[in-house]
Amino acid sequence: MTITATGLSACRAGRAILHPTDMQIGPGECVGLVGSSGSGKSTLGHALIDALRAGGQSVAHVPQSPDEALDPLRSMGFHWREAERALSLAPDPDRQGALFEALHIAGGDLGTRPWGWSRGMQQRFVIAMALIGTPDLLVMDEPTSALDPVVAADTMDLLDRYLADRSTALLLITHDLGLAARRVQRLMVMDAGRVVEDAPTAQVLSAPATAAGRSLCAHRNWLELPC
Amino acid sequence: MLSVERVCVRRGNSATLQDVSLSLAPGRTLAVVGESGAGKSTLIGAVLGLVPCTSGAVSWNGAPVRHCRPALVMQEPRSAFNPALSLHCSVMEPLTATGTRADPDRLAALCQGLEITPDLLARRPGQVSVGQAQRVGILRALIAAPPLVLFDEPLSALDAVTQKHTARLIAALQREAGFAALIVTHDLGYAAAFADDIAVLRAGRIEELTPARAFVEAPQTDYGRRLRDAAFALGALERVA
Repeated sequence: MTITATGLSACRAGRAILHPTDMQIGPGECVGLVGSSGSGKSTLGHALIDALRAGGQSVAHVPQSPDEALDPLRSMGFHWREAERALSLAPDPDRQGALFEALHIAGGDLGTRPWGWSRGMQQRFVIAMALIGTPDLLVMDEPTSALDPVVAADTMDLLDRYLADRSTALLLITHDLGLAARRVQRLMVMDAGRVVEDAPTAQVLSAPATAAGRSLCAHRNWLELPC
Repeated sequence: MLSVERVCVRRGNSATLQDVSLSLAPGRTLAVVGESGAGKSTLIGAVLGLVPCTSGAVSWNGAPVRHCRPALVMQEPRSAFNPALSLHCSVMEPLTATGTRADPDRLAALCQGLEITPDLLARRPGQVSVGQAQRVGILRALIAAPPLVLFDEPLSALDAVTQKHTARLIAALQREAGFAALIVTHDLGYAAAFADDIAVLRAGRIEELTPARAFVEAPQTDYGRRLRDAAFALGALERVA
């Protein structure tokens, strides 16, 4: 199903932090939402999720911090059952085992509360919860920022396999253009609460049209920094 | 010169550092990379004397490291400051703690190098961005001219553009002041671009210690290769054709 939302906006303390924005994402399309800290990426993600859920579309969300997704007073097992119940899925130990294995969290104790897991493990648990169903859209906000490189790369590979045989669309929110560039076909660049560029990935990388886009491209690679 | 000789740290029944040896000369940069839980932060604690070593020795020019008054730059810049104090008060603490008088020229030069305005220093930690707070964290670390500075994931809270900008400021100040830098990071791109050598820490042991550029081209161990390939896959490093 094509994802469409119009007039998404947000204010904080009387100041517009997201100016009215329209979004359209095709079925199975992978879109990267990039920009510097404070440019409004997560805010746009939240506004989009709220609008889509209000319109009856299914969205899975991996927030930037696992604290947003996990109740500190509930066990990890409770969270997992909740995620299954929300999608009316019967408990399936194989599905859970396969996801946990792929995300290197098979050793986690489901009987403990979130604090019994390291932050990186919590992050991967939230990713696993997001991948149990087949939503119209998967929104991942800096999914690998708390993970070390080997685990992060495995996580992104799992995501590729997950998306390969589904029509689920992906919105990947990240400040890291290098990460987004390899995973998405289309990039949206945000700056000061506005989407200032929306173009195929190759076009943004080869000919960024805005100052924000140029800055991200120039700082994409550690070994080729501009002087 | 920092010298870490056969250091072991045990916590309960498990070893968090095993037989770790390395040395670091003034003006040089060593990046310690490795997975979460490998012992990277414990190594910083051991060097600073905050974590007692079960065996082995850590020294700076043959004396205990604390005698050289090393500095630490922390991962979460805004929570690294007292929220009730202005940033200026926090920055001056290393001087007041040692009874040293502030040198206005040095402060001005550092502020210029780190792009910090007097107006920024008058604010409290909650009133500045993470990137600004981290630059002030670096200012506080360098104000008393330490010969050794430890960085614990100094860039991980910053966005990709700010990371590279801050890394460059650190490198420029290091060229000027000549301190030895021990940087703990999981960002191999940063390590490859700014460190002289890369040490791969895994399960408390140093698996390999290689010059940075050589590591990117040909890691010596399987795990080093996995780390490097993951950095390629994530876009943190670009393969040079």
